[in-house]
Amino acid sequence: MKNIINIIIIFFLITSSSYSNENLNNQILKNLRCLVCQGQTVQDSNSEFALIIKSVVKDKIKEGNNEKEIYKFLSEKYGDWILLNPPLKKNSYLLWFLPYLLFILGVIFLFFLLKKPKIRPKE
Amino acid sequence: MLSDLGTLFINGALLTSFSIIYFSFKELKISNNLVPKKIYKLSLFQLFFTISSFFVLLLAYIFSDFTLVNVYENSHTNKPLFYKISGTWGNHEGSLLLWINILVLFSSLFLFINKNRDKKFKILTLLFQNLLIIIFLVFLLSNSNPFSKLFPVPLEGLGLNPILQDPALAIHPPLLYVGFVGSSIYFSAALAALISKIDSQSLAISIKPWVLVSWFFQTVGILVGSIWAYYELGWGGFWFWDPVENSSLMPWFVMTALLHSILVLERRIGLYSWVIVLSILTFTMSVSGTFLVRSGILNSVHTFASDPSRGLFILSFLILMVFSSIFIFFKFAPNENKKYTIFSKESFIIANNWFMIFFLAVVLIGTLYPVFLDTITGSKISVGPPYYNLVLAPFLIPLLFLMTSGPNYKWVSNEAKSFFNIVLLLSIVFFIITFFIIEENSFLLNLILFFSIYLITQTLFDFYESSKKKNINISRIISHLGFGLLIFFIYVNHIFSIENNFNLKLGETKKMDNYTIKFNNLEQQSVKNYKSIVGYFNILDKKTSKSEELNPEIRIYDKPITITYEASIKSGLFSDTYLTMSNISDTDIFNIKFQVKPFMNFIWFSVLLLSSGGILNFFNRKKYEKN
Repeated sequence: MKNIINIIIIFFLITSSSYSNENLNNQILKNLRCLVCQGQTVQDSNSEFALIIKSVVKDKIKEGNNEKEIYKFLSEKYGDWILLNPPLKKNSYLLWFLPYLLFILGVIFLFFLLKKPKIRPKE
Repeated sequence: MLSDLGTLFINGALLTSFSIIYFSFKELKISNNLVPKKIYKLSLFQLFFTISSFFVLLLAYIFSDFTLVNVYENSHTNKPLFYKISGTWGNHEGSLLLWINILVLFSSLFLFINKNRDKKFKILTLLFQNLLIIIFLVFLLSNSNPFSKLFPVPLEGLGLNPILQDPALAIHPPLLYVGFVGSSIYFSAALAALISKIDSQSLAISIKPWVLVSWFFQTVGILVGSIWAYYELGWGGFWFWDPVENSSLMPWFVMTALLHSILVLERRIGLYSWVIVLSILTFTMSVSGTFLVRSGILNSVHTFASDPSRGLFILSFLILMVFSSIFIFFKFAPNENKKYTIFSKESFIIANNWFMIFFLAVVLIGTLYPVFLDTITGSKISVGPPYYNLVLAPFLIPLLFLMTSGPNYKWVSNEAKSFFNIVLLLSIVFFIITFFIIEENSFLLNLILFFSIYLITQTLFDFYESSKKKNINISRIISHLGFGLLIFFIYVNHIFSIENNFNLKLGETKKMDNYTIKFNNLEQQSVKNYKSIVGYFNILDKKTSKSEELNPEIRIYDKPITITYEASIKSGLFSDTYLTMSNISDTDIFNIKFQVKPFMNFIWFSVLLLSSGGILNFFNRKKYEKN
């Protein structure tokens, strides 16, 4: 379990490392829902709404905002519905922690189900 | 005329289903071991009626009989014949009829194949299966009748959603349905097994072929859906963690868990109750998936036939089904108090189940959480690909590791094995080579790549070892190899994908680091059921100085009026070049999306490999049972 937590922490650190502007732009657009479409990202849509968001994001990057600030700006304006990566908030604790809780419950269950190995002498 | 005939056949099917239930009940009290001929005959009649009703609907579509509301709403005389046929199941009512057809077909097949099984078990399975059939027939007749009449008869139909006019999507629903509905038979058999108390081996042997078949079709169905999404939806991905995609994946996880537990059950080692729980859960997940898709409570790119009243029916049915299954389970479940030794094959299979159920839970939470949150608090959040990637990806590592070492342990033994062997060494060498080619610095990605390489190497090594001994479990090797390759290529694809969005006018050239794209020409074309604007692009790869011609389209379908953007894909062995264009309204500027997607064909191939393991096991099953 410790290893897994370590892996997750390292993963967070690495994914938050720097990107070039073009990549950052794509990365952000991919994590935004096109609000007027059916289940499409802003990146993949050509609706007027998506075009506006695309230009907003481009400007924000030029102004020197980072990824988090842009998400925050957009979610204040359009609500959390626009973010495909749900931010960790009071209303999403369960969403983020329930899976890990279930996984640990599974470990406890397996612990009782499995016999401890006995070291048997060779016959 | 066809409408009346269809309704007649449906009523015939309903009547025979009721008679089967009636005679089955009577049979339960008679204690011999022979299922009477009467029941076999009734089952054949039932099969005849349902297949005929489907055939009638098919004819109505082929001859564009607009006296049927269903045909009027979903077809058009100008549509190519192929799509007239596939239109039969390209809508809610027709697909429900197909669903019932498979339900009935499997019910009769089960009866005829398992001639030598315990009678009580067989009759009870038939009983539960026919209850399901009746519920769906009543649903069809009362809420979603494909044979409803329309008056006055219109001259022309409304046409089929053009996104659905595609060969992959024509075969995608039937494939998935065999998977979804196939699970009904082991749902019924599981409940029957509880009540009739048949032994674990008989249960395992009687449901194994159905699990294998439904798993195979489910896997291929998901594959075809992904391929379709890749070239039709125009965003260059093949999996979006969309609620509808998730609802086809959820039963898949349970089926995969079941597929593995059956191996333990077959050897009378244990897991009797667990297999029953999984069997019930698989069908529950299938029906829930259908509910989620059809009720329209989800926001998805794949929602084509949604209506709240259908949702309500399916939801009530779901609740009824779950509660009665739970009741039957707790009333009849045998007492099992077994412990399993850690270093045995069965323990690894239990670990596999733990992971599958965990994956299922994550996908279920991710899909339903926003719906519940919205209902309870009114706040809307989205759960998209980043969530699933973040939560699931780390768990691939232990899963891959367990898949690598698990199969080489023996049943009911407790012999620990050393991990340090030639295979590990080879895998490390392969990984280091890959590492220097890929130059990826994410630690997690590298770990996943390493463990998938380890799985691939170990599986190939196992193949070599067991081919010497001539007792190869070829299906396991092929499926595990397929899974290892799948994970490996998905991540390599992810790392090497190139994506560029830009605006371009006719005649302009866009220069990028490694590619130059020239917009050469624009042409209007008129095809039978749509008009299209075709762009002619030349793409020059500066590294290899090879050039390719790509022609993305904007299509305007007239029945019903819809605009679709058709990607142009040049698919090479190692890499796909992917181009879509769309016009920016009121200008002569086009938005171009250029992508390079390496190893796409390898991803498809890996899934095919994965699924073919299942079907191979199906054919080798007999050989195995004799031992």
